[in-house]
Amino acid sequence: MQIQIKCSCGEGSCPEWAIIEVQGVVEVQPSFQDRLQNLEIGQLCRPSSQENYTFTIGYHELTGSKVALKKPMLVLKKVKCMDIDQSSDNQSPGTELEVVGIIRHRILFKTRPKALISKPQPVVKDRASPAAASSSVQT
Amino acid sequence: MEIMEQAHPVCRGAGAVLNLQPSSSISIAYHTHFGPHDDLILLEVDEKLLPDFFHQRVSLRGERSEDAVLCTQSKTYSIKFVGTSNSVFLIPPPDNSILCENSEDCNGKDNHKAIVSVIKVAPGNMELVEVAPRLDKLKLLLSEDPYSSREASEFEDLEEMDKSITKRMYSWDDLVDEVQASDNELRSGLQAISAVEIDGYWRIVDEKYMSTILIMLLHNSVLNDWSLDALNEDEVVSMLVSDGFPLKLSHHCLHVFGSKVEEGAGGSCLWRLDERRVCVHFAREILVEGKRKMDNFMEEWKQKVPKGMHPDFEMLEGEVLKEKFGVESWVHAFSVSSLPSTPAERFSILFRERPKWEQKDLLPYIRDLNVPGLSLEGLLLKYTRRTQPTLDAEPVFSAR
Repeated sequence: MQIQIKCSCGEGSCPEWAIIEVQGVVEVQPSFQDRLQNLEIGQLCRPSSQENYTFTIGYHELTGSKVALKKPMLVLKKVKCMDIDQSSDNQSPGTELEVVGIIRHRILFKTRPKALISKPQPVVKDRASPAAASSSVQT
Repeated sequence: MEIMEQAHPVCRGAGAVLNLQPSSSISIAYHTHFGPHDDLILLEVDEKLLPDFFHQRVSLRGERSEDAVLCTQSKTYSIKFVGTSNSVFLIPPPDNSILCENSEDCNGKDNHKAIVSVIKVAPGNMELVEVAPRLDKLKLLLSEDPYSSREASEFEDLEEMDKSITKRMYSWDDLVDEVQASDNELRSGLQAISAVEIDGYWRIVDEKYMSTILIMLLHNSVLNDWSLDALNEDEVVSMLVSDGFPLKLSHHCLHVFGSKVEEGAGGSCLWRLDERRVCVHFAREILVEGKRKMDNFMEEWKQKVPKGMHPDFEMLEGEVLKEKFGVESWVHAFSVSSLPSTPAERFSILFRERPKWEQKDLLPYIRDLNVPGLSLEGLLLKYTRRTQPTLDAEPVFSAR
């Protein structure tokens, strides 16, 4: 069996995806467990012109930086294709893989979080956003 | 739902994260379609392989029961999953039509607040490791039904019937489906086992039948006073065809036992028979029935090879083994081409054949092993124990 890896974007126009990587797991408060959609995780902030970033999740602040990946990462998507005219004997509906993006950078937060107890949380102030329902847990 | 009505966030993607301006911030949220998205796979790829992906020269190959490999045009890679305990938030570009069935979700006009959406948390990524092509299966598949003299003679009148009783035969496309190797590796694999494409199917030719053609060719060259160093392709082939051999097989015989020395002006080429290949062929033929006494074997071998060729025992490295029993030497066939190509299996069979190997005997049986990133010395270190009784003695290799 052969699965062709397709690519409709071509070299110059392959859309770039991004990664924000933190240590451990972000735990969502139980009441929000079932409706994560559109829920805010946190605020990403670039305080200066350097490639340093903070990520504020609930009461925690992480400090990290933007790093280039040693090797690029392709985002592949499995696509089920129903080839009706190409009735290939008894094979189940074929699968194809398609290159849908490339990742060259990630914003990596590899330090432990700092607790923001004295400061008010910016997320709570903003009533328009979904509730600040996240907090970070370190492994 | 309330949330959607209250705020009309501008849905922005990866770019907003990667190009975040100094002294600004952005809200990171779960995407409307956030989920496990097992259909999205991250594959770490060497920069130099990217063009192959962008120009669609890459495929996955393997049966359901096998671990898939990834093939470019010339190389084979195994695919390995590397998990992570970190949380890897994956952020697609904005308005990614692949993910949002209706892009309305992302079309809020109100520039009230910038939000970047995370589509999934990736549990890890795939990595590629260059591996040797898995060509043992190729030999196995083509050995199911070698082309023989019976087929050559019955071909014309029994074509239809023959098809129904033949075992499975393989076209190029069938082989690509079955064998885990890149196109180039598959092509050289076919060449290495002297396969030939007959009527759209790749076949190996029964050794006895090849022998019959070769003997006829040698016979014809004696009759016509042809030089074995300058055989005219057209003459040789048309003579073989008139002797009743199929055209394709007549050409194949030249390819197997000779090499082209000159591209002829009028389309006809000159070929030279390869002394080693011809001699090895006759040695194998003698030993097909079992082991022989060395003297005895050499005598018969010298008689069998064509005039002008000089059989030398050195030619048989990787094909024939010599053992000493008391004062007598015996030889038997032991061909490297019949051995598996994975190092562990190869060494296991070698040490079953002979518990101790001298370096000069062993090398012909392992030289062809192809393990990317591991040299021959590395292979010996990994799979053998090396002993050297004295400093100037030949090292001896045994099983680990």
